[in-house]
Amino acid sequence: MHERFANAYDPFVIPYMIGFVFVIAYLIVALCFVVKSLPMSDRKKMLKHLFSYKIFITVKDIFADCLLHVKIWKKNKLLGYMHSSIAFGWFMLIVVGHIEIFFYAPHRVNLPYYPIFFRYFMMETETTVGGSVFFFLMDFFLLMVLSGIALAMIKRIRRRLFGMKRTTRLKWNDQLGMYALWCIFPLRFLAESFTSHISGGGFLTRGFGMIFDWFNQFMNNDALIRPTWWAYSIALMVFFLTLPWSRFTHILSEALLIYMRNAGIRETSKNNGYASVEIYSCSRCGLCLDPCQMVSGASLRQMASVEFTRNIRWGQTTQALEAASYCLMCNRCVQACPVGVNSVQLKLNLKGADVSYRYPHRYDYVESEAAPSPLATTSAWADILQGEAVTAETAGVSAAGAGKPEVVYFAGCMSHLTPRIEQSMVRIFEAAGVRYTFLDEDGGICCGRPLMLAGDRTGGEQLVVKNTEAILATGAQILVCSCPICYKIFKDTYKLEGVRVLHHTEYLLQLLEAGRITVRKSAETGVFHDPCELGRHSGIYRQPRDILYRVLNLHTTPYEGKDALCCGHSIAAEGMPYKKRRMIAKDALRKMTENPVDVLVTACPSCKRAFAEIGTTRIKDIAEIVSEQLVCPHLAAQPKK
Amino acid sequence: MLLEKYMEMMKETVVIIGGGPAGMEAALSLAGRGYKVHLVEKTNALGGHLARWDRLFPQQDPAQEILNELVNRIREADDRIEVVYNAELQYIKRRMRGMEVLLSNQTLLQADAVLVACGFDLFRAERKEEYGYGIYENVLTSADLERKFKEHKVVCTDGRTPEKVAFVHCVGSRDEKVDHTYCSKVCCVTAVKQACEIKELYPEAEVFNLYMDLRMFDRYFEQMYHRAQSHYGVHFVRGRLSEVAETVDGKILIKTEDTLLGRPMKLTVDMLVLMVGMQACAQTAELAEKLDLKVSASDHFFETKDLFLRGNHTHAKGVFLAGACTGPKSLPDTLQDARSAAESIHRYLTD
Repeated sequence: MHERFANAYDPFVIPYMIGFVFVIAYLIVALCFVVKSLPMSDRKKMLKHLFSYKIFITVKDIFADCLLHVKIWKKNKLLGYMHSSIAFGWFMLIVVGHIEIFFYAPHRVNLPYYPIFFRYFMMETETTVGGSVFFFLMDFFLLMVLSGIALAMIKRIRRRLFGMKRTTRLKWNDQLGMYALWCIFPLRFLAESFTSHISGGGFLTRGFGMIFDWFNQFMNNDALIRPTWWAYSIALMVFFLTLPWSRFTHILSEALLIYMRNAGIRETSKNNGYASVEIYSCSRCGLCLDPCQMVSGASLRQMASVEFTRNIRWGQTTQALEAASYCLMCNRCVQACPVGVNSVQLKLNLKGADVSYRYPHRYDYVESEAAPSPLATTSAWADILQGEAVTAETAGVSAAGAGKPEVVYFAGCMSHLTPRIEQSMVRIFEAAGVRYTFLDEDGGICCGRPLMLAGDRTGGEQLVVKNTEAILATGAQILVCSCPICYKIFKDTYKLEGVRVLHHTEYLLQLLEAGRITVRKSAETGVFHDPCELGRHSGIYRQPRDILYRVLNLHTTPYEGKDALCCGHSIAAEGMPYKKRRMIAKDALRKMTENPVDVLVTACPSCKRAFAEIGTTRIKDIAEIVSEQLVCPHLAAQPKK
Repeated sequence: MLLEKYMEMMKETVVIIGGGPAGMEAALSLAGRGYKVHLVEKTNALGGHLARWDRLFPQQDPAQEILNELVNRIREADDRIEVVYNAELQYIKRRMRGMEVLLSNQTLLQADAVLVACGFDLFRAERKEEYGYGIYENVLTSADLERKFKEHKVVCTDGRTPEKVAFVHCVGSRDEKVDHTYCSKVCCVTAVKQACEIKELYPEAEVFNLYMDLRMFDRYFEQMYHRAQSHYGVHFVRGRLSEVAETVDGKILIKTEDTLLGRPMKLTVDMLVLMVGMQACAQTAELAEKLDLKVSASDHFFETKDLFLRGNHTHAKGVFLAGACTGPKSLPDTLQDARSAAESIHRYLTD
């Protein structure tokens, strides 16, 4: 191989160089901004990560996620191939291209455009094995990229082939970037094919080159060489120039995202650098559209996470805030995101930044909850309206066990609205002879999670403090809660030293396994609905099923475990109208009961209410089922239905 | 004589679906104009909800007297009105002239017009689990209380005389959560009526009305409301119920908020009465399909052609509507609506 031109330059490299310099400059500036917006502790984490052994994990993750797109492969093979053929193929073209330079023109390594236009600047003078290997590899990866591009074009028309019912609608900036990307590799292929009688080429470029040579009889093929190289260079420039303003920014930011995530940095506030890297890392692939029940169940396409990140990115805060207030925070989109954008946390941060100035805080009710009702002195019906003080008797401490209770039971506000759940729990405690205290029997303080989900962290924390005192004061070693919303915050946020936090599904299983309660199996068939807060948010999947196998004939649905549906009545979605919530609940219930069953069992008062409202299937909480199937001669009959 | 008989044979026939007050009154009006009427009732007795009521607002008239009068008049007009019990509409076929109506008991009727007067259903209070209906024994609905009045047994489940009674307004009305965004119109005044009746029965009892708004729109309603306060000493508290629990001694502990004072409040009562609202009857969707009628997406009752000059007309030819199947109505309104439906049918048949 020899160089064709002594000056190693042609004007067509200029567009490419403009784009290249621009992207490098953008990268440096953007990185500076990101680092600048991080707190010092996070910056230290970033630096430390570079020199820790974990950097190897990061490199592996970057390779697996940015180039091979392993997560997408798991969803759909064709979609996985499409993404990885473009990313990995392109990457390999760059790598092999640079190796080729080291072999044949090591003195040109300092020219950034040289590997890009290598075939133009070099000519083949002899056939060697090494040369053929390079030709083959370069053509192989080019073919790989071309096949990926072809699939990308097909996907725009036939997305169902790729396992997607919906895909994103592109705005002009994304379209420009996409068309430029689609042009780059076909143009490179043409340019290399036209040049192949000089530069040589592999099976692809030389093969087609020979066909083009045949055309030389009719027209001067060589006249096409430089225009196609020009076009190739211009396509690259357009792609690079649109990069910071299109979906393709993710090519640059995703690696940084993985690095930062592995360094232990999180999106702690709205303006945090990690949050912006996440937003820029959204490739608008649209994989979050199908799992989103606002889209599939309530025709709220504009509320999907992919649109939310776009709105944040372009500063459309009003729309972004609306989407955040509609979001059920069921985490289905987060789970589907191949990049790992935690859009739910981004929404919470945005809500948090907004809520803090919209609502002033008032905590006087927290204090008054413990004291007698203020109405006692101000109202005309003082005697009758007086708040009743919690006594040992009303608190449910059974007479048998004086001293510390074994369990403190926190039903939660939502369970107060579904009294059957509380009744069932009390009955089970009594059947099992558990010494328990019912902390919020007479109405306690909210666990704080609803406020946190509304973005009001400070307000939530106040309640956390108050409840922590109350729980620790009981001296119980186990806290049982009936509401997964409470459970999540008790487990993750509260610092309850020496107290085990259990959802009643976990606790009931313990009682069953320890033989403290016995149940009989009914002939009924049922399916279990995993509540978002218990399943995806807390990872409790096994326990409810272990219980239900003992009390009824448990059937399965395709919507279980991590693929569970949301009931649509999440307390996080304070902005969503009931009409839409009902549509989502109806849709979810229909899907889960496609094969009809006697009863749909859940473990969350909110889900229970949501589905019970639809009225097509009987809905029960797991505690109700267990209570009904209890074998306990010494207890009164099941409360009337 | 012969001509008269011939005229009689030629007289048009109307099929009425529903033997409640609306169906009965419309049947009487149509029979009075000489039409032949088939009154189709799904149960074995006429009267609908009226048969289950004790006394009627605003002047405590006994419901039974009104029902008896209607039933007697229908009996007197038996040459023109034929009541078909235990039957529902199976299908309807349109003919060149009029319609062919098949009932569930396989009776085939010829009809020149059909009047739907299928009425309403009461809201199922179990749907609001937080109010404890069906869970706590001393939580009842307004209809349950009315039955107790009728049976002269207004006591708690353990036989105690109630000392404190609370009425909760708007249960299943004006409630987005149960998809009933409309007002059921009659519950406010019914609650006032029942509260006064409780006080009449037990003057010592404390009676509370927990309301959102008091809609005392019709004749004598406002006077009733004032009398409830000035004469009977019924308490009115503006606030919605949040939750209900049962105390150890079987009383009902309710939590609400006095929104005029801006304070949360707790109240222990012996009896909690849920003022259940009206909803479209269960057969609405099925009838709509069979008769080609429109159902409102907003309140799920039947849609009339318009709200002014064609308030009993439907979009289907020869099919008319009367009573609470087109939205909540009080009994006087229902009866008037039935008469107006009869007038509309008469105009349609003589046109």
